[in-house]
Amino acid sequence: MKPAAFDYAAPTRLADAIDLLVAHADAEPRVLAGGQSLVPLMNFRLAQPGFLVDLQHVDGLSDIRLTDDELVIGAMVRQSTAEESADAAAGAPLLVEALGHVAHPPIRNSGTIGGSIAHADPSAELPAVALALDATMTAAGPGGERRIPAAEFFRGPFETALGPDEILTEVRLPRRPGGHAFVEHARTHGGFAVVAVAVDLAVDDAGTVTRAAIALSGVGPTPIRATATEQALVGTVPDAESIRSAVAATVAVLSPAGDVHGSSETKVDMARSYLRRGIELALDRAASRR
Amino acid sequence: MSTREITLTVNGRRTTLSVEPRKLLVDVLREDLGLVGTHIGCEHGVCGTCTVLRDGRSIRSCTTFAVQADGADIRTVEGLAQGPELHPLQEAFWEKQGLQCGYCTPGMLMRCVEILERDPDPTPQSVREQIASNLCRCTGYATITEAVCAAAEVMRSGARAGTEVAS
Amino acid sequence: MTTVDRPTPPVRTHKAERTWVGKSIRRVEDPRFLRGRGGYIADLVLPGMLHAAVLRSPHPHARIVSIDTSRAEAAPGVHAVVTGAQAAELTDPLPDFGPNPAAHTWRCLAVDKVRYVGEGVAVVVADDRYLAEDALELIDVEYEPLPPVVDPLAALADDAPLVHEPLGSNCAYDRTFEFGDVAGDFERADVVVTDQLRWHRSGGQPLETVGAVAEHDPATGGFRVHTNSLSFTSYLFMVATALKIPANRLDIVPMPAGGSFGSKLFVTKPLVIAAMCARLTGRPVRYLEDRVDNMANCDHHGSDRHYDVRMALTRDGKITAIDIDTVDDYGAYIQFGVGHHGNALAQVVGPYTIGSVRYRVRAVLTNKNQQGAYRGFGSEVNNWMLEQMVDKAARELGMDPVEIRRRNFIRSFPHFIPTGNVYDSGDYDAVLDKTLELGRYEHWREVQEQARAEGRYIGIGLITAQERSVFSATEFWFWFDEPGAPVTSMPESVTLKVDATGAITATLYSCAFWGNSPETMVAQLVAEEFDCDPHDVSVVYQSSKNGLPATGPGGSRTTVMLAGAVEGASAKIKEKARRAAAHLLEADPDDLEWRDGGFEVRGVPEKRKTLSEIAIMLHLFKHSFDEDVESGLEESKVFDHPYTTMPSADRKDLGVFYPFMGHACHLPVVEVDVETGVVTFLDYAAVHDCGTLVNPRSLAGHIQGGTAQGIGTALYEEFVYGPDGQLQTTSYLDYPIPTSLEVPELKIGHVETPSPWTPHGIKGGGEGGRMMAPAAINAAVNDALAPLGVRITELPLTPDRIRAALRAAGHGS
Ligand SMILES: Cc1cc2nc3c(=O)[nH]c(=O)nc-3n(C[C@H](O)[C@H](O)[C@H](O)COP(=O)(O)OP(=O)(O)OC[C@H]3O[C@@H](n4cnc5c(N)ncnc54)[C@H](O)[C@@H]3O)c2cc1C
Ligand code: FES
Ligand code: FES
Repeated sequence: MKPAAFDYAAPTRLADAIDLLVAHADAEPRVLAGGQSLVPLMNFRLAQPGFLVDLQHVDGLSDIRLTDDELVIGAMVRQSTAEESADAAAGAPLLVEALGHVAHPPIRNSGTIGGSIAHADPSAELPAVALALDATMTAAGPGGERRIPAAEFFRGPFETALGPDEILTEVRLPRRPGGHAFVEHARTHGGFAVVAVAVDLAVDDAGTVTRAAIALSGVGPTPIRATATEQALVGTVPDAESIRSAVAATVAVLSPAGDVHGSSETKVDMARSYLRRGIELALDRAASRR
Repeated sequence: MSTREITLTVNGRRTTLSVEPRKLLVDVLREDLGLVGTHIGCEHGVCGTCTVLRDGRSIRSCTTFAVQADGADIRTVEGLAQGPELHPLQEAFWEKQGLQCGYCTPGMLMRCVEILERDPDPTPQSVREQIASNLCRCTGYATITEAVCAAAEVMRSGARAGTEVAS
Repeated sequence: MTTVDRPTPPVRTHKAERTWVGKSIRRVEDPRFLRGRGGYIADLVLPGMLHAAVLRSPHPHARIVSIDTSRAEAAPGVHAVVTGAQAAELTDPLPDFGPNPAAHTWRCLAVDKVRYVGEGVAVVVADDRYLAEDALELIDVEYEPLPPVVDPLAALADDAPLVHEPLGSNCAYDRTFEFGDVAGDFERADVVVTDQLRWHRSGGQPLETVGAVAEHDPATGGFRVHTNSLSFTSYLFMVATALKIPANRLDIVPMPAGGSFGSKLFVTKPLVIAAMCARLTGRPVRYLEDRVDNMANCDHHGSDRHYDVRMALTRDGKITAIDIDTVDDYGAYIQFGVGHHGNALAQVVGPYTIGSVRYRVRAVLTNKNQQGAYRGFGSEVNNWMLEQMVDKAARELGMDPVEIRRRNFIRSFPHFIPTGNVYDSGDYDAVLDKTLELGRYEHWREVQEQARAEGRYIGIGLITAQERSVFSATEFWFWFDEPGAPVTSMPESVTLKVDATGAITATLYSCAFWGNSPETMVAQLVAEEFDCDPHDVSVVYQSSKNGLPATGPGGSRTTVMLAGAVEGASAKIKEKARRAAAHLLEADPDDLEWRDGGFEVRGVPEKRKTLSEIAIMLHLFKHSFDEDVESGLEESKVFDHPYTTMPSADRKDLGVFYPFMGHACHLPVVEVDVETGVVTFLDYAAVHDCGTLVNPRSLAGHIQGGTAQGIGTALYEEFVYGPDGQLQTTSYLDYPIPTSLEVPELKIGHVETPSPWTPHGIKGGGEGGRMMAPAAINAAVNDALAPLGVRITELPLTPDRIRAALRAAGHGS
């Protein structure tokens, strides 16, 4: 389990990083962030890029900025840095809660926010968070910069809207006061989610849901929005029964692929259970913050 | 493929060496620097036997290329004992039998160093939660938790004694 | 002829006051491991050493049409590429205890066809492992895929494709054993309980993989091989045969193992590959499995069984007979024969007075990695099956799980079970009582009731089961009528050397360090004999070449066998020392007694010689003694199996082969989340009786650690082969091993019922909690789900299986 040979560069400027990707296009280059997905794949020789552009020294990719209406996280911010950041906790508590489920601290000490999102593992936590929060991904390439909404970013398992010479530079998460919850089932603690649910919602003084955004991981080729559940909740004061039927609306259309961790049916059962739990927890928190 | 020159500070000692970019940090530590206390168990980040500290934080040295650690401060199990004197964590692992085969032990110790540097007074439950990052196939973890709590106590009183002396 | 001679050994009297045996001292092994200086196989670097990597088959079953190694040979840093066909000329088949090795021949690399995903096809030797793996990608193999045999029951069909054509069938072994009047007991039964059960394969998965470093000496044609398996001392000839050299040209150096759990028992393949490559290249060669090799090609997957069981009972819950029919999926080879079922037969009736047993075993070959050893060696599976049956019977009879067990406990010892094996001693009620108290059984029953009222599903598992210890090798051959062999000893040896200063060094043979504590055990036993500090005893491991007869760890034998050897060697040392002391004190040897580290004239404490005073005289001043006294103070003891007897010719009685019977009761309390099928622990108590304890803390470690593995077996771990024969779990992302958050902290209790037949009354206990935990956790989950009418008879109890069972019972959402 040793990686195949490759050439390596560790530029300090974003433009140089992009130039390197372009210049080495024939070597199937990849950017290297924290390496916590890429290096295992290379050790298994499931990935054999001929050239790696290490982003860790690139200026400007490791900042966390909190403004009045959004949290902007540089792609190279380590997961543990984000987890411990007061700005992140204030700006996107859902993200911070989800990070607690991403592998274990020694992995998060290397792994980056951008790496997780760019890797787009269908079982990963952060893509679901990005989707639920309607995040925007900033990509820089030879043609300049562009912004990609989460809904268009995740294209398939390990597949995103990024071009081969594009670099994800930051993730912009709109601030949304209300209640959040991130819940999941993993086979053992720190493992990838079998099913994960990210919930972000708001209620008014009467307890009426004014906004609901819910995303799931593990039940499809990409994270998916539980749109039917969101619609069923908004405008109502949910109770146990209405939550159940709101959940059922999403669950009815799920058809996840089975794998060693669970059959399709079991994943549906899990989605049903965790959707309910996530919604209940988020409602509780929203109510207590009102 | 060409090699690159990198500088590592390992257990306080600076070294410059020339490595192939693909060489994993764990292999550089073990083969180029002869620090075989850092073990290899899975080479895909799960087991934790290769855990070392990079700039004070635990990482997997099997999923890190040595070139990525250029300029970093690395601590390994070999840096824990001071001559004949074991680190309080090593003492406590011995006393509580926090090891059987010893294969997970160096990685586990380094993870526990980080845990205690970040929280010198952890509860048993918080230790259990935090050591979930590292597998041990032998002990069933109970004695490791005990050992970390015991070491924390020794280190706290040592630290107090230390300040008294210093002041 | 069904009776066999059953002489029991003389009953020993055990020392009442012990100083070191029974003390939880710090382990003498630990300081080097704590410092990262364990000296594992991966740490060994020899000048000029090369590295081997194995090309694994991607197909479960395929003919190898051609292999082209030319591109690989030309790759940078490559010294040699060996294909299976070439290896078959360089080496002979690997040691195989299977039923018909000529018909299911096992070699270090596949020759004409591959029989499982991961089987080795070729090996590359290169300057380093990176380069070796580069070259693996350049080997071109043309395969002709064959239909895979995956399901063991389908493999028995007449028209199933054959894993080994010369065998003519995929059934490598099929025999039914009858012990006692099974038919009569079933006829007389008031109640017959039947069930089908399924135990899926998992494995030891130590964090260190298996490997070897081999050096070849062209001058003698011999080898020195370092490996983290065994030193194979008594079995060296078998390994030498595979290398086509005389046994006296082979030396195997045992290296400490980073865990084994059985899976490093008698591992010859890496060793033979490394040695073959060393001879070919003229350089030392390391072959160390990587994790994928270890998961897919380790030859040590665990049991994989289907059971069809009937149990006969009286209406008041007395179990009279059990009829077991098991199909065991051995994978592509069968290196240890059906020894795993010998283990089961050693304690097949558990702690119960069951009078008759029928046992049919069919060993089936399929396109999977073969079985080897995993902590319990198949007896843990029998424990689980039996306890499932007892619980089912209790349910059908409306009895409490405690009550039915008490009704059937064996209470007089020694007790010969129907298969012929003996249980030396025990006090099962005491263990049960202690567990019920420690585990707060009554309390949890109340909590369970309240929880049920709230719609929560809490379950209490209670199982009482055996842990046989100290096997005799009869269990590897009593399966066959021919050739038959005399009773097999399986010895273990220790040499004790008292140097001129009186300091003691113990030499162990074959009993390598696997994470157990052989050095601490021996140090404590020596300290007990000689009144010294165990931390002052030095313990070394001898390589096989200069080894005394020795078998190595396995079957919870180490401590008992080492205790016997230490006892014997100590007696010899003391005999010589007594004579010397008598001479020096001008006293009659018979008037001397050993006291506090020396010999003194009985009743005259000032007339004494300490061991060091005696030792220096014996080392340096031999001429002070009689002519026949030789210099030095060093003695060895080859300790033979203390109690084993021949099976009867008709195999209706298998004789004594696993006589020192440990026992335990486990009581886990779990909660099952019925929506998701997730199981969590609320409490867990375990009480073990392994006879006299040498080091209670290290035994507690085996209980806690073994239970953690048992939790893995019960809830998480499974090597999954898809219907296409592909191994779907080739990384730790797919094969979940319990972390600290999956393993509860156990409440551990000990009961000590000494064995009448072993030194100090010690019984083995190394297999620890894994013997019991799978049975106990399954019982707890079934107890939790009982109100829903769900009972699961298949391990591991993944959320998926639990949910599937609940859905099938109508609990859809
Ligand atoms: C044992 C283990 C357990 C894990 N468990 C989980 C888990 O439970 N949940 C989970 O979500 N993840 C888990 N991970 C993965 C981990 O979170 C990774 O850190 C993450 O998926 C990738 O981040 P990285 O910074 O390490 O990226 P890398 O591994 O460096 O890169 C991953 C991929 O993304 C590309 N990439 C990275 N950054 C950029 C960028 N800025 N622009 C364009 N492309 C980029 C790379 O080229 C590569 O293809 C686990 C990893 C391990 C080793
Ligand atoms: S070897 Fe690095 S985590 Fe297992
Ligand atoms: S002590 Fe063996 S793996 Fe932890």
